[in-house]
Parts: sequence; C-alpha cells; structure tokens
Amino acid sequence: MSVLLILFFGITIVALDYVFRDLTHNAMRERLEVQLIALITASEEDSSGGLRPSTQHVEATVRFNTPGSGLYGEIMRSDGYPSWRSISLTGTGLTFPMPEKYGEPLFGQLTNADGSNVLALSRRLEWQFDNGVTRSFVYSVAEDLGPYYAQLNGFRGQLFGWFGVLVLLLIGAIAMLVRRLLAPLRRIEKEIAAIEVGEITELGAGYPRELLGVTMNLNTLLRGERERLARYRNTLGNLAHSFKTPLAVMRNLLSSEAFRNLPAAKQLDEQVDRMNDIVKYQLKRAAASGSTGLGMAPVNVAEALSALRGALLKVYVERNLTCTLDVAANAVFYGDREDLQEIAGNLLDNAFKWARSEIRLTVTTLSAANARRDGLLMVFEDDGPGIPEARRTHVLERGARLDERVSGQGIGLSVVRELVGLNGGTIQIGTSTLGGARIEVKLPPT
Amino acid sequence: MRLLLVEDDTALRETLVEQLKHAGFNVDAAADGEEGLYCGREYALDLAIVDLGLPKISGLDLIKKLRAEAKSYPILILTARDRWQDKVEGLQAGADDYVAKPFHFEELMARVQALLRRSGGWAQPVLKCGPVALDPRTQEVTVNGRRVELTSFEYRILEYLIHRAGEVISKTELTERLYAQDFDRDSNTIEVFIGRLRRKLDPDDTIKPIETLRGRGYRFALQRETAA
Repeated sequence: MSVLLILFFGITIVALDYVFRDLTHNAMRERLEVQLIALITASEEDSSGGLRPSTQHVEATVRFNTPGSGLYGEIMRSDGYPSWRSISLTGTGLTFPMPEKYGEPLFGQLTNADGSNVLALSRRLEWQFDNGVTRSFVYSVAEDLGPYYAQLNGFRGQLFGWFGVLVLLLIGAIAMLVRRLLAPLRRIEKEIAAIEVGEITELGAGYPRELLGVTMNLNTLLRGERERLARYRNTLGNLAHSFKTPLAVMRNLLSSEAFRNLPAAKQLDEQVDRMNDIVKYQLKRAAASGSTGLGMAPVNVAEALSALRGALLKVYVERNLTCTLDVAANAVFYGDREDLQEIAGNLLDNAFKWARSEIRLTVTTLSAANARRDGLLMVFEDDGPGIPEARRTHVLERGARLDERVSGQGIGLSVVRELVGLNGGTIQIGTSTLGGARIEVKLPPT
Repeated sequence: MRLLLVEDDTALRETLVEQLKHAGFNVDAAADGEEGLYCGREYALDLAIVDLGLPKISGLDLIKKLRAEAKSYPILILTARDRWQDKVEGLQAGADDYVAKPFHFEELMARVQALLRRSGGWAQPVLKCGPVALDPRTQEVTVNGRRVELTSFEYRILEYLIHRAGEVISKTELTERLYAQDFDRDSNTIEVFIGRLRRKLDPDDTIKPIETLRGRGYRFALQRETAA
C-alpha cells in the first residue's frame, strides 16, 4: 500500500520537475532572443567598418557594461575581427560559437572562467553598410545560469516539501483507516488467544455485521463441541450403567446358594470379569476427551488433586497412610477436567493400594520459550513393593488386546497410558526414593 | 444390623436383598431416590448402600440430603460409571466408600463389614472383648478360644451388642435393628434370646458379658481390646 503510494508520488514529482525545468529553460531562451534582438536593433556603424550598440539605447547596454551583471554580449565580424565586446565579458574567457548558417539561432552552454555555466545564443546575419558594402556578423549574447538553477532548486525544494507533507498525511490517514478496518479482526485474534488459554469460553458480542457470520459460527462450533462431549459422556454413562447392572446381577446370581457350587460358575464369573474389563476399558477410552481444551476453563490442578487425595484418604482410612501433595501454585491443566481426574485418580489409587505408609505426589510446571501454555510434570510415588523392571513396559502396553489378558488384573495403567497419550503426554515407570513405584506423567508445554 | 439398599434395577435389588438377608442383615430396599430418602429418614439404620444412578432423586443428592439431616450411619456407593468424578463427588457429599459394578458379593460384604466395624469404633477385623471374640467375616464366636455355636438370631443380637460394646442398647432399638418390619415385635422374645446367649457364652456365670440395666436396656460389659 505505502509502496504504491510512494511510487505514485515519486513519478509525479519527477514529471513535475521535468515540466518545470523545461518551462524555465524555454523562458530563458526567449529572454536571450529578446536581448539579441535588442542588441541588433541598437546596432550602429562605427568608423572602422564594424558594428556596436548605440549609446542612445541605454537600457539595452547598461547590463552589458556592468561587470558581474551576468549578461554578456559580443558582435564579431565573420573575418574574426571583434567589432564589440561587452564590458561584462572582461575576464570571463568566454568564446562564443560561430554559426555557419544565416538567421538560425544557435544555443549552447558555455563555461565561465570561474566554472559557472552560462547559456549562450549566437546568430549570423548580413549587414549592409551605408556605403553599400555588405558584411557578415555574428551577434552573441549569454546569461548566467546561476539564477536559473537557484529558481529550479527553490521550486524543487517547495515541490518536495509539499509532496512530503502530503505523503505523510496520506500514509497517516490510510494507516488509521486500515487500523479501524482491522480492529475487529484484531479483537477476534485476541479473543481466540484467550480462548486457547482458557480465559474465556467463546467470542464476545458486538462485532460489525460483516464479521457476525464468522464469530457466531465459531461460537456455535465451540459450544457444539462442548455440548457434544457432555452428551456423548452422558450416553456412555447410561450405557455403562445399563450394561454393568445386569453384569452385577449375573455375578450375584453366580455367587448365590443355587449356583455357587455349579462347575461352570467359576468360568462364567471369569467371563463376567472379561466383559466388564472390555466395556470398562473401551468406555473409558471413548469418554476421554484428549482435547486441547478449546473453550474450556483451565483446570486448577492443586484443587483437583486435593479433592482426589481427600476422597482416597477417606476410602483407605484404616491403612493410616500419609499422602503428601506438593503442587506448584500456578499449575493448571489445559484440557478436560475428567481426563485429569482419570489419570491422577487411577495412579493415586494404585499408590494408595500398594503403599506401606507413604505416598507422595509432586506436580511442577514445565515451560518452553516458544510455548503459549505451560506443561505439567506429575510424579506419583509410594513406598510399596514397586513395579519390577521386567513388567514396566508390559503393564503400560497392555490394553490393545484386552481379550488376551489374564483376568483379574487391573486395567488402570493402560487406561492412564491412553489418556496421557491423547493429551499429548508421556508416562514413565521407575523406582522412587521412597522405595516403591515412581510413575511420572509428563505433559509437555504447547 | 439394619441396612438400606437403594437400587433401581429390580433384578439386582432382589438378588442383593436376598443375599444380604442370607448374610444375617435386616434389609430395607428402595427402588428410587425418593423412596430411599423416606427410608433413610424414618428407619433406624446401621448402614445404607446407595446406587449413584437413581431415578427421581440422584444418589448424590440423596446422600447430601441424608447428611444434611445429620444421619451419620455409613453410606456405601454403588457406581456403574466408574468415573473418578463420581467417586470424588460421592465421597465429598458424605459417602464413606464405593464399590464399582459389577462387584462380587464377597467384596461388597467386606466393605459393609469394614464400614460397620469402623462406625462402631473398631479398628481391627475381629471384635474382641475380654475372652469373647467375634469375627463378622466368618460369623464365628469364641470364648477363651473355645468355639460357641449360636443360632442366626442369637448371633445377630450378639454382633450388635459387641459392635456397640460399652453402650446401653434399648430393647426397642434392638428390635428395630434386628427384626424385619413385618415381624411380630414382642420385646419378650428379645429377653428370651438374651437369656440363651448368656447361657451359651458364660455357662459357669463367671465372665458376665451382658448386663441388664432395668428399664433402659442391655450393655455388653466386657472391656474392648484394641489392636495395639
């Protein structure tokens, strides 16, 4: 935009400069011709067969006879005899050209002894003397170009000055216009950034009519996504409820007097186990959001984890376990609350199950220079027996082929691995300084 | 011990009621949240088992309402969804433990026994008072290591008294907690059973486990033994 503007003004300036230079140049030529004609008109014969301006035409000769006046004149006989030279020519070293043809004006630029330029005009003509003799003369006049340059520079100065001011005004006006036009787009950009970090859940109102279509559709999309997830989870919950209750009935029937001693009872019970595990695993996977949390408020990690801790301490009250929670105050989870609860709930529950006396949960934030959102490092530790090295990959990888696994082993860790993966994180099993398992969940900054 | 079971699925409710009764509990059953709230308010309960997915009043709201009315008996949640969100909310609302469906009845029983034990102030699974020991898991009673054979109802009275050892339990309370609603509530029957229990536990009349406080009720008089 501004490049186009500068180009446009550049061309205009060059064109105007050219026209003005041409005009002043022509004016100067015309003035020289007038001076030449005046000189010719004022000419009179002298005694030695030459011509000189008559002293009666004072106004024609006064500048010629003033040194430094900037106007020079010469009448030269064609045989090279200088008939008349103006006093102003003294010391200038100017030599006028001698045109061959009669009547045609010959313009030329000459250089003075002091280095300044003059514009010269010479014209050859025939003069018939009173005694009948015809002689050929060359009349020349010249004028300093100094004033012309001064005028030109003055004009250029004004031209650039005014155009400069105009360009600045125009650029300013255009910038303001563009700013005004782009302001709603900037606002959208800002609000989307706020949605990304979870400060707001949707775009605000009050956009210009042209953008309403975009903002309203975006809001509908965000809202739709949230509602869809909620509805989806509700359906899954109902499905789980309507599926597991009959399983519970079957299981209870199998353990009742009538069935307990049947040979098939144990096998049937194992099948109930498998069905339950498959449903549980698949439903948990399906319920996982794994979303980037667009339009969701960031989850306060400390608050969510202390709720879990409180719940587990209540359930395991008889074990007299100590559970230390060390969560960075600014730790937030940019994602779905339920995902965080499932990840932390399963891992913390495992720690409570296996711990002898102590559980430690440490959460720190991870930041990166080019990331908009901080990541999280959650470390779950207990002083239980730990997970043997050989089984570490095994407990995480299981899940894909649930139907192959041994009945009665929890599916907690494979669900956790799935959820962590969906949220872009990684999980690692190690040994804690407390003596038991150390499970590290890393959700990198994004 | 008197339990309330709030479960909307008829099949599950019926099989559970049967099994709980078989295990020696006096069971009230409700099919929805409203009925559950009524039973939870009106009956003298020792424990409630509440399914979270209930019609009319949700399990969560039911628990909140009962706790708001200062009902302090233990509450065990049954949950099918197995979401941590539900467990945390349930426990925060005032429940004491949860069991995920489908559960083994033994697992449910273990949780129920543990909650009852805890609510009676017992820390270890076997309840011991002096020479008398009662194991709710096996329903075995021993005196000085010698096994005592009790009928189902005798056991239930003893279990209740030992659970609350040191407290005075009125005849009305005993009847309410141990008899089904439609049972003929004759307080004389209680006296008969207490008499039989005394003879079985203390045939030589040396340890005197059960005290009678005239006009007030009974008290299990032997000192509780703690785990330590």
